[in-house]
Amino acid sequence: MGSYFSDLFGGSVSILRAMKVTLGHLFTRAITVQYPDEQRTQPLRALNRHVLRIDETTGQLKCTACEACARICPTRCIELTGTGKGKNRHPSAFQIDHNLCMYCNLCVEVCPFDAITMWTRIGELGSPVRSDLVFDIKALTAERFYPSPMTPEKPAPVPAPEPEPEKVEAAAAAPSS
Amino acid sequence: MGLFDNKQFEPNVVTTTVEWLFNWARKSSPWPMTFGLACCAIEMMAAGASRFDLDRLGAGVFRPSPRQSDVMIVAGTVTEKMAPRIKTLYEQMPDPKWVIAMGACAISGGPFYYDAYHVVKGVDLLVPVDVYVPGCPPTPEALIFGILTLQDQIMRGERAKPGGRPTLPEPLAAV
Repeated sequence: MGSYFSDLFGGSVSILRAMKVTLGHLFTRAITVQYPDEQRTQPLRALNRHVLRIDETTGQLKCTACEACARICPTRCIELTGTGKGKNRHPSAFQIDHNLCMYCNLCVEVCPFDAITMWTRIGELGSPVRSDLVFDIKALTAERFYPSPMTPEKPAPVPAPEPEPEKVEAAAAAPSS
Repeated sequence: MGLFDNKQFEPNVVTTTVEWLFNWARKSSPWPMTFGLACCAIEMMAAGASRFDLDRLGAGVFRPSPRQSDVMIVAGTVTEKMAPRIKTLYEQMPDPKWVIAMGACAISGGPFYYDAYHVVKGVDLLVPVDVYVPGCPPTPEALIFGILTLQDQIMRGERAKPGGRPTLPEPLAAV
């Protein structure tokens, strides 16, 4: 009989103790990320869509079309062809099929010129059409920003130069076809 | 006032379609099926949990039965053994129904596209797919982006074409 009431009392105390934890969480800040409006801060080396890097000094692609990435890719999702010889060799076509890509980062690790990176923040690629997920050389170099340990944050965009007033008037006067 | 003073609307009849209302209601509650095949399902669970909270989009009510669900999120590798079950589950869902192929395996077989005998090379060989979400696995943000794309599609009244690709590989056409 005594153990019955002590069990009852102990059970009630444990429930109250658990409810205290719940009550403590009730007044903490919500951790929900309101996704389409705000972005979660991703880890620095989060693997996202590929970007072909540009050599800052020459303004050309760093890629020399050596096809090391295409050969090491486990899913064989990279296709490229190159033109030119020696130091002038650059890819003329470069396709990455994100229907197949398994985000293993091997193409980045094998690249001898650091010409390709996955440390981008381009993660949302949903599409109703499969062919939209095959990125060609134009799509892969369009977004030139890539974060690195030295530049983890996106630099401020350069403000576009204002169009000259004469050209604006000329454009407005021109008949719209 | 200005609308009805206009002579163009002489009979004073405002016309619209019920379809807009229906599409709005469908888009606001795409209930997914509790259905995960592989590691992509872990990210699907993460998207449903408190940090990303699919309930904000009305899509967080994971139903335990295909009879109650609107969206099938195919999250993971579709093996040949699982393929007839997936087709049965899709046929058990009531119309209107949508399918999201999540991850490289569900889209095209992914790592198993070459040199594998046991994986269906894409779930669009079995059921019509509305949205493809690439990734291995896709982040919860990518899945939510896919659901937002699906909501846009529902609002426009678009449906997936049966067979997401022009030609089927020969050995799988009979599945």
